[in-house]
Amino acid sequence: MQGMNSTLRAGASLVRDYLVLVMIAALVAITALVEPKFMHPANLVNIMRQFGPLIMVSLGMTFVIIGGFIDLSVAGTINLVAVVTISLIQRFGQVPALLIGLAIGTVCGALNSVLILSSGALTQAEALFLTFGMSTVYSAIALLYSHGSTMHFWDISGSKSIFEAIGGGNVGPLSVSFVIFLSCLAALWVFQEKTVEGRAIRLTGGNKTAAHLAGVSVSRAIVLIYTIGGFMAGVGAIVLFSRITTAAPVIGAGYETNAILAVVVGGTTLKGGKGSVLRTVMGVLLVTLMSNCLDLLNVSTYLQVAVKGAILVFAIWLDNRKQD
Amino acid sequence: MNLTAIGVSLFRIVTRQKAFVAILAMLVGMLFSGTDFYTAYNLLDMLNSTSILLILAFGVTLTIISGGCDLSIGGILVVSGIMAIKLLDVMPLGLAILLAVLFGAVFGFLNGFLVVHQKTEPFIITLGTGLLLTGIAQQLTDAHPIPAKNPDFMTIGNGDFHGIPNLVLITLVCFGLAYALMRFTAFGRNLYAIGGDYDVALYSGINVIRTKWMAFVISGAAAGLAGVLLSSKLNTGSPVYGETTALVVNCGVVVGGTSFAGGIGGIPQSALGLLVFGLLDNVMNMLGITSYYQVMLKGAAIVIIIWLDCFNQKLKREAV
Repeated sequence: MQGMNSTLRAGASLVRDYLVLVMIAALVAITALVEPKFMHPANLVNIMRQFGPLIMVSLGMTFVIIGGFIDLSVAGTINLVAVVTISLIQRFGQVPALLIGLAIGTVCGALNSVLILSSGALTQAEALFLTFGMSTVYSAIALLYSHGSTMHFWDISGSKSIFEAIGGGNVGPLSVSFVIFLSCLAALWVFQEKTVEGRAIRLTGGNKTAAHLAGVSVSRAIVLIYTIGGFMAGVGAIVLFSRITTAAPVIGAGYETNAILAVVVGGTTLKGGKGSVLRTVMGVLLVTLMSNCLDLLNVSTYLQVAVKGAILVFAIWLDNRKQD
Repeated sequence: MNLTAIGVSLFRIVTRQKAFVAILAMLVGMLFSGTDFYTAYNLLDMLNSTSILLILAFGVTLTIISGGCDLSIGGILVVSGIMAIKLLDVMPLGLAILLAVLFGAVFGFLNGFLVVHQKTEPFIITLGTGLLLTGIAQQLTDAHPIPAKNPDFMTIGNGDFHGIPNLVLITLVCFGLAYALMRFTAFGRNLYAIGGDYDVALYSGINVIRTKWMAFVISGAAAGLAGVLLSSKLNTGSPVYGETTALVVNCGVVVGGTSFAGGIGGIPQSALGLLVFGLLDNVMNMLGITSYYQVMLKGAAIVIIIWLDCFNQKLKREAV
């Protein structure tokens, strides 16, 4: 009797821990039954492409949240990186444009960490408002730089093969953006699991005072999480505008909440200290599949925003229950 | 007194009274601008356009003093504004307004349940409920502004009483009510106590859950009222207005001196804090600054102000 009870309890906690996986499986099964188009190869390729930008941003956001902070500036960073990179392709060539784009993302992230460190902000709330302000500043710079206009691929007369490949090319059965995702995931997973810095980030998120007393450099961890967050937002921006072949200075709107949603749904706790990039992959998969299912079921994009909000609230509530 | 000491004390004044210093700086600066800034018309217009933000801020101040925060007000603002216009078609004016405000209160009750009863992180959870409402607002209007057909409804937000705009008068009444609530009632004192130290308040016999919950209900109702007034002023219900309003209002409250640490601040401080943003908008328009630069200056102002607030907290922590 005792044994069965504990087995039940273990089973229940397993379901709770991997609720996301259970939900993905249920969602895929239901949609595949209701809408046969879902399992069509063209749709699966479509999902793989939709997956691209959000997963990059969310992987970066994972470290910020594990470190016990939050980053609302990714929307501004994406806007800025996208408009600057696309405008530089013709002037400087593809590779320099790509590198400058990534550098801008990294600098934006590092700048956030400088602000947070210099002000001595410790809580998620303080970081939330500081990065919101920075997002507004980055977006304004993007607007000023582009004069508010949208730039298209066909405006570029020079070669843009790299970006066309990122947006629509394939390597064997996989899309190029998926390969980029796999390499980023591998690198970040090794960073998270196998390096001292990865552990320092986790300790910082768990308890800053304890981490400091244990000899962990909390400042270094904060610089790292935001810089990685900014860099990954830059990668996300490039994948995004390559896929849709245009870059507007408002292209990144909504990515900050979607990334937080994906990370939390994946099971990384907002309280910091616990979580993994692998969990975020599951979270993004669920969010992307859900959008795709709702599209196929003809739910309006507006109602989808409401559904996302409801799921975000539910996921945070569940995350909070797990802590007790 | 050497120069460093003067510098330090100046810095303290700026960080503590940042709203007052900012307003003073702008007022003095505009003396030399040679614009029509110092006219009764312009100053009333500035107050009129800040009034919606002020009403929102009075509600939010309660939640921040109790140690929380409310980022869903932007969502409540747009949904209740749209609701009022939709309900006007089927029922009398008063009832439609009442129901729209009630919607705000009910949603505030839900926020309170999640934050206070279920003990979730207020910053993130109200961001989520705000997102939910933004989606609902877009669905209700198909993401287009919808016009109001009742002329009486329009006069609420656009009429005036002996030259003073109705919105300014309504804001003054709200200010008086909120100030009295926080200054002279047990409820207000208890909110300060809860924000100051939750456990001490609990052991002092304050019904912490009910009091803090009530703060969220009031914040929701204030946002509902602000939504009705905004729709009336624009004579349309639009789902786009609320996107950054919530963050700007919460920042404005902090600018005034109500801290995210809880237990500190008040309604007059929040009014000053929001006036900084109202004045900033007005000054930038007067000086003919283009809209992209306006966005940038506003963002920079938010960063600087929140930075100062955090830095002040850090100094306090280190002084202990």
